[in-house]
Amino acid sequence: MAIPLRDYWRLLVAYLRPQRGRVGLLALSIFASIGLQLLLPQLLRRFIDDATGGAATGALSRIAVWFIIVALLNQICIACAKYLGELIGWTATNELRADLTAHCLGLDQSFHKERSPGEMVERIDGDVNLLATFFSQFAIDLLGNMVLIAGTLILLFREDLRIGLALTVFALLGLALLLWIRGIAVPYQLVWREESARFFGFLGERLSGMEDIRAAGAVGYTQWRFTAHLRSWWPTARLSYLASVSAWIVTLTTFAIGNIVAFAIGLVLYRAGAITIGTVYLVFSYTELLRRPMERIRTQLQDLQKAGAGIVRTQELFARQTRLPDEGTVTLPPGALSAEFAGVTFRYDDDEPVLRALDFCVAAGQTVALLGRTGSGKTTIARLLARLYDPMAGVVRLGGVPVRDVALGDLRGRVGVVTQDVQLFGGTVRENLTFFDPAVPEERLWSTLDTLGLAGWVRGLPDGLDTELASDGGGLSAGEAQLLAFARVFLRDPGLVILDEASSRLDPATEALLDRAIATVLRDRTGVIIAHRLDTVRRADLILILDAGERVEFGERVALAADPASRYSRLLRTDTAGEEVLA
Amino acid sequence: MTTWQFLRALMRYRPWLYLANGFFWTLVHLAPLLPGLLAKWFFDTISGAAPVGINPWSLIGLLAAVTLGRIGILWLGSETDAYHRFTMSALLRRNLFEQILRQPGARALPEAPGAALSTFRDDAEQVEDTISWTLDQVGTGLFAIVAFAILLATSARLTLAVFVPLVGVVALMRFAAARIERYRRASRGATSRVTGLLAEVFGATAAIQVAGSECHVIARLRGLNDERRRTTVRDRTLTQVLDSINANIVSLGTGLILLLAAGSMRTGSFTVGDFTLFVYYLNFVTDFTYGAGQFLAYFQQSGVAFTRMVGLLGGAAPATLVAHAPLHLRGDPPAVPPPPAAVEPLRSFAVRDLTYTHAPSGRGIAGVSFVVRRGELIVITGRIGAGKTTLLRAILGLLPATAGEIRWNERVIADPASEMVPPRTAYVPQVPRLFSDSLRENVLLGLPESETDLPAAIDVAALTPDLATLPLGLDTVVGTRGVRLSGGQIQRVAAARMLVRQAELLVVDDLSSALDGATERLLWDRLLAQPGTTCLAVSHRRAVLRRADRIIVLREGRVAASGTLDHLLTTSDDLRALWYGTDPDADGTAAETAAIIEEE
Repeated sequence: MAIPLRDYWRLLVAYLRPQRGRVGLLALSIFASIGLQLLLPQLLRRFIDDATGGAATGALSRIAVWFIIVALLNQICIACAKYLGELIGWTATNELRADLTAHCLGLDQSFHKERSPGEMVERIDGDVNLLATFFSQFAIDLLGNMVLIAGTLILLFREDLRIGLALTVFALLGLALLLWIRGIAVPYQLVWREESARFFGFLGERLSGMEDIRAAGAVGYTQWRFTAHLRSWWPTARLSYLASVSAWIVTLTTFAIGNIVAFAIGLVLYRAGAITIGTVYLVFSYTELLRRPMERIRTQLQDLQKAGAGIVRTQELFARQTRLPDEGTVTLPPGALSAEFAGVTFRYDDDEPVLRALDFCVAAGQTVALLGRTGSGKTTIARLLARLYDPMAGVVRLGGVPVRDVALGDLRGRVGVVTQDVQLFGGTVRENLTFFDPAVPEERLWSTLDTLGLAGWVRGLPDGLDTELASDGGGLSAGEAQLLAFARVFLRDPGLVILDEASSRLDPATEALLDRAIATVLRDRTGVIIAHRLDTVRRADLILILDAGERVEFGERVALAADPASRYSRLLRTDTAGEEVLA
Repeated sequence: MTTWQFLRALMRYRPWLYLANGFFWTLVHLAPLLPGLLAKWFFDTISGAAPVGINPWSLIGLLAAVTLGRIGILWLGSETDAYHRFTMSALLRRNLFEQILRQPGARALPEAPGAALSTFRDDAEQVEDTISWTLDQVGTGLFAIVAFAILLATSARLTLAVFVPLVGVVALMRFAAARIERYRRASRGATSRVTGLLAEVFGATAAIQVAGSECHVIARLRGLNDERRRTTVRDRTLTQVLDSINANIVSLGTGLILLLAAGSMRTGSFTVGDFTLFVYYLNFVTDFTYGAGQFLAYFQQSGVAFTRMVGLLGGAAPATLVAHAPLHLRGDPPAVPPPPAAVEPLRSFAVRDLTYTHAPSGRGIAGVSFVVRRGELIVITGRIGAGKTTLLRAILGLLPATAGEIRWNERVIADPASEMVPPRTAYVPQVPRLFSDSLRENVLLGLPESETDLPAAIDVAALTPDLATLPLGLDTVVGTRGVRLSGGQIQRVAAARMLVRQAELLVVDDLSSALDGATERLLWDRLLAQPGTTCLAVSHRRAVLRRADRIIVLREGRVAASGTLDHLLTTSDDLRALWYGTDPDADGTAAETAAIIEEE
């Protein structure tokens, strides 16, 4: 499988262009170094011929001193090149990491639920790491090595046509062999990397699920699975290694042939009296000089092979498009938003439809409670309103505007969702509240917390807003995490608020705290509440009851409660404690 | 333990393989001695300095033969190296994983899973490289010794004069090595912060998308990226500049030879052939110092890697990191772990003065005592942060209790972490984690299907109707954190996971939070239907509190009250507050709220 050079080139240009200056400086350092390296064997030849010819020691010493000076200058150029190379490489790959992450964050949920976080880290960090040397060294270093080889051959031609010819043939054949070997290792590398991603995906999930594993007595089993993953990983690692070594072997053979050719032609021409012994040494020396760039080309090609695998996987990610087109241009009206479903049908992948031709409409400022068994489609409605997915049929409208026509960025700012599963980050409470947005004024944070009645709780934390949270929500109980999630959503002043089974993990006393806050906030906004308890349902204006994705009842709460034939009133009758719920 | 001790223990794991690997690679590194000598003889023969009788063409033929030999050795060495390397990192990862699995389940990692993953991946690989390269060091070292000897025999004065700068460079390396470790640590730290953030971001994509805060998150990533770039460029530039000095020393050495040999070359006592030999070997001898310098850096870096890996061991002796254990990479797979031994049926379960404090925050539980008898449902309740989950975790050994004891039928449980597991107890955590596997796997988690009644567990967990809607039923694969399933379904799968273990004591942390009333009723009905089912549950749901034989109310980590529901409703302010949903510290709107509930 050959990696198209076009893809290499495109990536190079995209990520090196912003660093033009540094790249230019790097090129300068490398080409200066090349010139100096080509000079050295010439000095050697001069020395040998002069020495065997009986020149004065003083003259010979002068040549030796020049030799040392040139070698030192070369060292300086190389040091500059190393530093610039690393800098360029890391800057470029950091950009790539950020771009890749941004691109993936722009993909819809159908992409994300197929991949574990561990796997994504492996792709974004692991695969991109392979490209670090690609950026810094490939462009300049590889080209520089080619120039070094060309320069050497030109100088050999200058000595004698036959020498030049023989070694040019050798160099071309050698390079051809190395290029041939380039494509061979890539598929093995790819397979190995995939297996690695699978291994670390498994590991990542288990590291996050230690509690479940231990309490289920599944420690032995998990270790057994670990071994199983190692067993399937090993063969791919072996083949990948052997494929890389094949390249080395080819290089080794090539140089041996080069030396043989140099010796042979040198012998023939010397015996014929056409060249001096100094020139025989020169030929030998330049052939040795060819060794390093060809070897560097070999390792650079190896890096390229690995990078090739990384590039393929990276391009795969970039090629993946979101299934949620953001072509809308309309902005939503300010204030509370009305919400409407018109004939909406939806399914996840090829499963059974979760919603079937659903119709309902909630006026601005009203609150609707969604009731129904788990799995009846309530969470799906929330996801469609927040436009995490698009329906297969029908239209979802907010403020009278179909959501597809609304600019996605605008929609995100106007719809707030509080879910049961709170996702926190390693960082301060402030950073978790603002999602790392540094522009949120302090007063706004505190006034939101005050409105919700949560200011006291935050002040009670060890460092208040600056309290550091461990990653994955460590340091907060599940209920406290829920409080944070509420505050996080209300900070952004949405026109439509969706509370998805939000209150269920809290104890009733704390729930009361939140209830008051919710009531305040819902006053001037549209609300969609997904709850299991009739208590929560109390504050709704409208009721929508779902069963297997179909609407079985919809209307004003008070009216439905008064009508003895309605499902809602039947629910109320069977449960007087205000706690159980559902059709 | 020192870095050397770690490395030695690892090398002793497969000693014969390591020796064979070393043998092949020593040959690989010794091989260049021959071409050097052949080159010297070639020049001496054609310039007339050598005794007649050697045909230069046969020298060239010998060169070809030597090359073929090298190819063969290289292939063999690769087979051994590939296998040996893999076993090195595999052993480290295996031991790390085993130790983490031994830690209390709710405190298994000292840092975020994302950062731990970076240790598993990169630090183990670092050590793998270092061990492989020790062989290279031996090989190049042997070469250096033999080459040195040959050169000494040719011209002692020149040999010594040229090697002095080499020794100087090595000294420079040692001085720089200490600085490298500090930079390496900073660089690794910055890297794990980046991978930690990436792991969190990709575990929270829905939340980020809904909040529209992608750009802020990326800005944060960029900030961490910059830090990583800064520290890593510093670390790697230093390493590489030192490398290049080593590499360039050949040219300087050659210049020195020219300077010192000018006189002898004129007179012919130092031939062109000798000169060729010197420069040729100089190349490789400096390869040794170059490699040694790099190896030194790698050695330091592997020291950092070991420190990070030991950090994940959670207090176990560092030697466990490199303990020898079978990897089963080739040949037959290991046996599936045997089912757990049967335990004494439960008559009574007692908790006495159980205490646990979470060190940084000072929160936890203190002096909790109660008794559970066979067939009882004991419900633990309290406000958020009261310590309910902490209590369950301490009982199950998922957190290490700092004081108190647990008794099973009057016998003290010395090690809850390993004894409070199926078939003694089974657990549903507050936030269950499902794995990227089939539902069957997620429920069974290694329990042989023949040893238990899977359909019955599914039925009691009220999952049967849900399975009917899934195309592949139990063989449906669920995504990470069960994203394809609804919250209620995840909880019920966790319930099935608990039930299928047929344990004596069921421990449940808030099972109903994602369930609707009817499903919850059904589940608890079926759960408690079997006679002898003993259950310890955390809940705030009235339906569950009503069924309890006894309720234990926690407040700020201590038992505030305990008794039956009726008893507590009349005597406990705390329980009343929870029951009626009011704050006991505020003045009463309880009557008003209760009235509203009744009215509906």
